[in-house]
Amino acid sequence: MKFTSAKNSLLKEIMIAQDIIASRNALSILSNVLIETANNLLTIKATDLNVGFETQIPVDTIDPGSTTIYCDKLLGILRSLPDGEIEVEQLDDKVVIRPLFQKIDFRLRSITSEKYPEMRVCDDQLYFSITSNDFISMIDQTIFSVSDDSTRYFLNGVYMENGGDGLVMVATDGRRLSYMNRIIEQEIPTFKPIIIPPKFLGLIKKLSSREGIIELAIHDNYIFAKFDSHKISSTLIDGQFPNYKRVIPEKQNFQCIIDKDMFYDALKRVSLLVDQKSKRLFIDIDIESLTLSSEESDIGKAKEEIPCEFFGEKTRIAVNSMYVVNPLKVMPGEKISISFSEANRAISIAPYPEKDFFHIVMPMQLD
Amino acid sequence: MGETWFFHIDLDAFYASVEQYDNPSLKGKPVIVGGATSNRGVVSACSYEARTYGVHSALPIFKARELCPHGIYLPGRMKRYQRVSEHIMSIFSEFSPTMQQISIDEAFLDMSGTECLWGPVEQTAIRLQDAVKQESGLTASIGIASNKYIAKMASDRNKPNGICFVPQGEEYLFISEQPLNKIWGIGKKGIENLNRHHIHTVENLRSFTLPYLKRVFGDSTGSFYFQAVRGQDPGFFSTTAKSRSVSNEITLEADTVDKEQLRGLIHQLAHHVMFRLLKEGLIATTVGIKYRLSNFSTFSAQYTPNKPIYSAEEIFAYVWELFIERWDGASAIRLIGVSINSVQKRDQPMQEELFYDDYKRKHTVEKTVLKLRSKGNKIMKASDLLNTDHSLQRKKD
Repeated sequence: MKFTSAKNSLLKEIMIAQDIIASRNALSILSNVLIETANNLLTIKATDLNVGFETQIPVDTIDPGSTTIYCDKLLGILRSLPDGEIEVEQLDDKVVIRPLFQKIDFRLRSITSEKYPEMRVCDDQLYFSITSNDFISMIDQTIFSVSDDSTRYFLNGVYMENGGDGLVMVATDGRRLSYMNRIIEQEIPTFKPIIIPPKFLGLIKKLSSREGIIELAIHDNYIFAKFDSHKISSTLIDGQFPNYKRVIPEKQNFQCIIDKDMFYDALKRVSLLVDQKSKRLFIDIDIESLTLSSEESDIGKAKEEIPCEFFGEKTRIAVNSMYVVNPLKVMPGEKISISFSEANRAISIAPYPEKDFFHIVMPMQLD
Repeated sequence: MGETWFFHIDLDAFYASVEQYDNPSLKGKPVIVGGATSNRGVVSACSYEARTYGVHSALPIFKARELCPHGIYLPGRMKRYQRVSEHIMSIFSEFSPTMQQISIDEAFLDMSGTECLWGPVEQTAIRLQDAVKQESGLTASIGIASNKYIAKMASDRNKPNGICFVPQGEEYLFISEQPLNKIWGIGKKGIENLNRHHIHTVENLRSFTLPYLKRVFGDSTGSFYFQAVRGQDPGFFSTTAKSRSVSNEITLEADTVDKEQLRGLIHQLAHHVMFRLLKEGLIATTVGIKYRLSNFSTFSAQYTPNKPIYSAEEIFAYVWELFIERWDGASAIRLIGVSINSVQKRDQPMQEELFYDDYKRKHTVEKTVLKLRSKGNKIMKASDLLNTDHSLQRKKD
């Protein structure tokens, strides 16, 4: 195997490969990345057995062939090399990496690609397309609400179901929930609701240009994605997602409308002084003004008032500030609404006027 | 402003003394609590008569039996001790508004400014001893000093039924007289480590600068040594400590590999610690498991979920998972224990849950059970009997 390639284009893909490879243990073939060249293309494969990744970049193939090498060190080497063309060549059991026209010579021990786990593949007919931007927007609005509590593994992913004329994504950690129901112009096949690991979705979000379409397939407890020159697959989370519909308030008595950026800026400022552990933030909603405040601590306290549109009784709500900061960070639009019925019941944060997504936050105790 | 004074009060051979008080025929005899039914486990407490044979607490029972074959070995009645302890603590709190109980048989009293009311602190200590003796029949040893750390060490000085008074300004002298192994907070391992650095006395240790001690022993141990040998309170018993830990362990009657029996025991232990928490109005944030194999090798592990733990069933689920992940299923188990750490006071703001989950419901049930139990009902939850599987099987990657 021998090829030459621009260092930077190889580096970009190897960085992604290293992200997928979980273990940094040199002893296992799973710490290796597979590279294969033929017909002036280089195929790169990486897996942690749950998520599989495959991509292609153009190179100059001199000798077709394939091998696997320790990804962590390959990445380090590529990072350290000056920009320009590099040559990669298999010599016996080592892979030689050297920049052209320079006296630098790295040799990495390789393991034959035959020992590398097979990449999962899915029948082409099972793929359906969806506009990249739609899919990425859905990931953006939900992925941060995923729980990392491994004892509630069924909350460790984003729930996705066929919503009739589109797709529904829901994520929750049991205290806040993010929901999006996007109408998709393309035809979506029926499928049983699934729970998708955030690693898979994060990867799509990172790699996709948001332009064009992305092809998806769901088969046999796996999900597959194809877009640009990338192929990604992942195991799905096997578990029962809670009945999320039960916790979405049907009707809320009060609604407060505020300027999103103004609210977000104030939120970031006041959050500086909320209690580090509980992160409790107070929101006082009154006619024409909304006040954010932290509780008094040894360090001090913060308070900020911003204008709002609200008709109702003065209400005080306590929330975990992160649960408000997270959605605000990704919500598009100029105005948002905060809807509630009582201080101790779920509040909704949504764009104003309404769009196809919203976030629900369970408050904290007031005292 | 009066002077700052702390009492450290330690009840003498507490469990054994309660036994002797409840059964006067045991008075003057070597009473050993723990290991009445077998040779397993360790000594929980022993009377001063037993100590003359070399028996001490935490000594394995079989060794105690070798040293003191004619001792009276009793099973231990925790409930009775708990009640006596509660009563005695209420006597303590009559002497000072600021009492800090640190275990079943020890407490600190902040006696600062009580001299106007009670007179000199040494006399107050005598009065306190009398009150305890009169109301419970037990004796207590008291250490008096300007800080809790010295008071704690002083109470050990003239045991039993003694008082040790360290006048203000003489803390330094008091510490100087102590052998290194009597310095509270320096254990067996600590002594070994100090000896390796050729440090054998308090004087030796005092000759090093703070930066040196920090470099050699690490930041926290280094500054602890520095303060301790100067008679300054290193803050072990600071009242602002937000966390506590509660644990319970059992030495099995016979070593076992029976998974169902172990599941039952862990379940029982989980309930036991949870009820103690509920009683004190605490909530758990970290759970831990400890087990010892028949060759005495001991394992422990902890887990901190990202939400507070509401019920015993939940503690059980986490602990069982910790245990099952580590135990090979073949090595016989001798001792098993469950602990809960980083326990916050319940008055911390609580985050409400969207999905009113099962554990919270169980928490309500357990609270009700506790109420009934405290009224003397022998009530048990059905799952205590059934050993149901609390399906938290995490998906294996």
